[in-house]
Amino acid sequence: MAAGQRAEGGELYNEELSPAQLFSARSRSRRIPVRGQKDFFPDGSAEQRRRLDRSLSEHWSLLTEERVERLGNLVKGCWIPEEHLVELQSPAGKFWQTMGFSSRGRQCLHPEEALYLMECGNVQVFYQDLPLSIQDGYERFLSGGSASSVSLQQYQVFGHLRRLGYVVHRFDPSSELSSYERQLNLHRSRDKAGVKRKRSTSPSPTPTSTSTPTSSSSSSTAPSCSQAEADGAASTCQQMEAACVPGAGEGGQSPAEGAGVRHPPAAAPRWDFSSIHFPDLGYIGSPASPGSPAPHGCLAPPDPALLPDCLAVPPCDVAPWRHRVNLRQVKMSSGEQRQRDDERRRRPDVSTDPEVQQCRNWAEYHELLARRRAERAARPPSPTRPAHLWNREVTPLVDPDEDVSTAELLEKLRQVQTSHLLDGASRLKASDEWRISFNVYQPDTVADFKKSRPGKPHCRVCVCSFSDPVPDLRALKLLALQSGDVQVVVAVVDHGDMSFYTFKDFQLPTDVFG
Amino acid sequence: MATEVVEKTGEDAPAAGKLSTRFDLEKETELRFEVEAAEAAEQVELELLTGMAEVFGSELNRNKKYTFGPGSKIAVFTWQGCSVNLYGKPEVAYVSKDTPMLLYLNTHAALEQMRKQAERDNERGPRVMVVGPTDVGKSTVCRLLLSYAVRVGRRPTLVELDVGQSGVSVPGTVSALCIERPADVEEGFSVQAPLVYHFGSTTPGTNIKLYNKLTSCLAEVFSQRCEVNRKASVGGCIINTCGWVKGSGYQALVHCASTFQVDVVLVLDHERLYNELKRDLPHFVRVVLLPKSGGVVERSKDCRREAREEKIREYFYGFRGVSFYPFSFEVRFSDVRIYKIGAPSIPDSCLPLGMSQDDTQLKLVPVTPGRDLTYHVLSVSSAEDGEEGVRKGIVESPVCGFIVVTYVDTQAQVMKVLSPAPRPLQRHTLLIMDIRFMDMK
Repeated sequence: MAAGQRAEGGELYNEELSPAQLFSARSRSRRIPVRGQKDFFPDGSAEQRRRLDRSLSEHWSLLTEERVERLGNLVKGCWIPEEHLVELQSPAGKFWQTMGFSSRGRQCLHPEEALYLMECGNVQVFYQDLPLSIQDGYERFLSGGSASSVSLQQYQVFGHLRRLGYVVHRFDPSSELSSYERQLNLHRSRDKAGVKRKRSTSPSPTPTSTSTPTSSSSSSTAPSCSQAEADGAASTCQQMEAACVPGAGEGGQSPAEGAGVRHPPAAAPRWDFSSIHFPDLGYIGSPASPGSPAPHGCLAPPDPALLPDCLAVPPCDVAPWRHRVNLRQVKMSSGEQRQRDDERRRRPDVSTDPEVQQCRNWAEYHELLARRRAERAARPPSPTRPAHLWNREVTPLVDPDEDVSTAELLEKLRQVQTSHLLDGASRLKASDEWRISFNVYQPDTVADFKKSRPGKPHCRVCVCSFSDPVPDLRALKLLALQSGDVQVVVAVVDHGDMSFYTFKDFQLPTDVFG
Repeated sequence: MATEVVEKTGEDAPAAGKLSTRFDLEKETELRFEVEAAEAAEQVELELLTGMAEVFGSELNRNKKYTFGPGSKIAVFTWQGCSVNLYGKPEVAYVSKDTPMLLYLNTHAALEQMRKQAERDNERGPRVMVVGPTDVGKSTVCRLLLSYAVRVGRRPTLVELDVGQSGVSVPGTVSALCIERPADVEEGFSVQAPLVYHFGSTTPGTNIKLYNKLTSCLAEVFSQRCEVNRKASVGGCIINTCGWVKGSGYQALVHCASTFQVDVVLVLDHERLYNELKRDLPHFVRVVLLPKSGGVVERSKDCRREAREEKIREYFYGFRGVSFYPFSFEVRFSDVRIYKIGAPSIPDSCLPLGMSQDDTQLKLVPVTPGRDLTYHVLSVSSAEDGEEGVRKGIVESPVCGFIVVTYVDTQAQVMKVLSPAPRPLQRHTLLIMDIRFMDMK
């Protein structure tokens, strides 16, 4: 049984439709006529006038068209002007997943939601037991004038986004985390806390009496729930083992105690390499080195006592190895070669120096070098920084003694300081001039969308008229602060046309570290 | 001529399906084999059947299976003759008679002679520096000499100055490690309580001043240890160096010899370096030229990079990535101070006219945490958390551990780190390395 219903001046009548009428109503095109861009720009031609007329008549015919819906599909609602909401009186339809809220055991709709659903033909709203027409809806729902009511422009944005598939909720500033809470990473623990709380409550959940539609865990309870977790994150009382223990401490006990171990050596160098035989392949050209074991370079087998497991090994013939050293040619440019030859000429063998010959160990050699360095110390001292440069009003950019990273240096050279949208925003006084109206969630999340835990919105919408002034920096900062890490989109309404603008905070990439 | 008996016995191998190859080695010969470096390559197992054999100075147990992963290059040497079985399919496997092991053994004998003398005279033992170009087996010779020394009851110290391919800690560090037992055949020396300093890069050339400074630090700590620990003093040290032997790299070698007061320099396969060191080091330092082993393989750049990565992975996940379980947690920027050692030099145009900046290479520069920090390895310095102004001593402080930044959240001002220990961080002074590590496996 189908019925077309229309309210005209409060007079109600039912009309039975014939099957033919029903059929034509069903097969009617449901498309909204599309307006081309710039169609409204007058150029005076007859053709444009014809097009405009056609477009207008299409709209008129759309408006006058009779809406035919099945009664069973219509959810009944009742308009409560005092609370400025629509209470549902029959079970809600599929729209309940993304719209409406529960309050004191009642299922309610916000006026903009009710109006949208009326336009879609999903809800029929009664007031004083009479059904409201769509025109009535516009008049009653969008008037109000209180802070919680919705203006026509806001409704237009709401409807536009809804039709595009987005989930649109009212924005509630109190449910947003402050930047301080966000810094503490409270939101994560808060989410967890919310889940826990839900599980621990009694199996029959009675909805709490808040008019905030967005989240079930109101912000007043969050801090106490997340206290324990925040503590855990910040705890520093735990001690842990070092991953790899430095061995420096071992040697640090008392260095002075063992200092006497080092004896002043005898006249000869400590090691007598004439009796300690290394298998040195380099002898052949150096007759100066004393005590080469044998001219043909055959080493006697070492004392087995010196070897692991008292190995007994045969004598070692060094000679055949001599031809096999340095097989790989070292590549050198001619410049390098010249430099090396120069160096060789300038720097003779250190050991030919008679004073060095006197040294018997490193300690004495270091002493000698230090002495020589002291003798040569008549060099001009390194230039110290001229103090007068820093006395004046204008000082040099950098101090040569200072250690500056490239990033710091660039920072010093910078003329225009970077600023972020959020800089200093928390100090600004809040104003009511601009406010965020809606949270918008992306259409692809609709399938598993939960009104109690909507998650992070895709963006937040702030509605303004085309004739309003452009928001100033102050307003933008306040909006950005209120919105947190979700971007704010400004919807500009120009008589039914909507454009969306957003201010993006971006950072120029810097890839200097150190 | 090596008489090599190769028997292919597919059935009697206990590891089902693995190809088994038997090698009979004559005395003083060496079996060299390489395992394919590919990711999915099969591991190769080695078993000593009869006789005695050693791998880089560490003896093999009879009838125990040793596993070698992809990329391993192993030489099994025997003094007395032995027979071994290889299970699996190595990329190459051949027996060589031509090894310089006898020369290395004689080198050890000479060093041992010096230790004996040191013990007798109540003196310090030999300090040995191993130098040579890249890919001549410096690290292997060090391992060999250290293992031999430990096997005759000494306690030598390994000083690792090769910042590119550190055998002790992660790359980009210099370190010292007291050796108390021969190297494990598979894993190498057990790393217990090493002394590690942060260098921050894989080549000493990026900051040669810092490199020399750290060398001096290590030398000083080692000398202090020698003064209180007689055994360490007699054991001496073996210093492994970088393969950079030209220009500043050569100067760094001379500096190292001087600060460590080395007694013996072993030059591997580089005659010119040998002659230069003979010229530039005083006469009481014995410079010895040794050949490299024919089995040494040249490693490509990629191969080195992979080895570095593997080393860092080993630090976090343990040998073959199975024994450790690192932690991952968030660190707030405000809780840590990140520094880089070495300020970039400022262009002259930014300085007062006619002035030059004095040395910047040892200075600490604070790093502003940002997204570019991601994947960098950070050293946790053991320097006490002092005032912001107290930056002194951080460069010379040893490192107590390493973390890797896995994610940076500039919004929340936190970074996620991979750490071997649970939170909180032991110390809050971090030093950034040029080295990055992506935890992909």
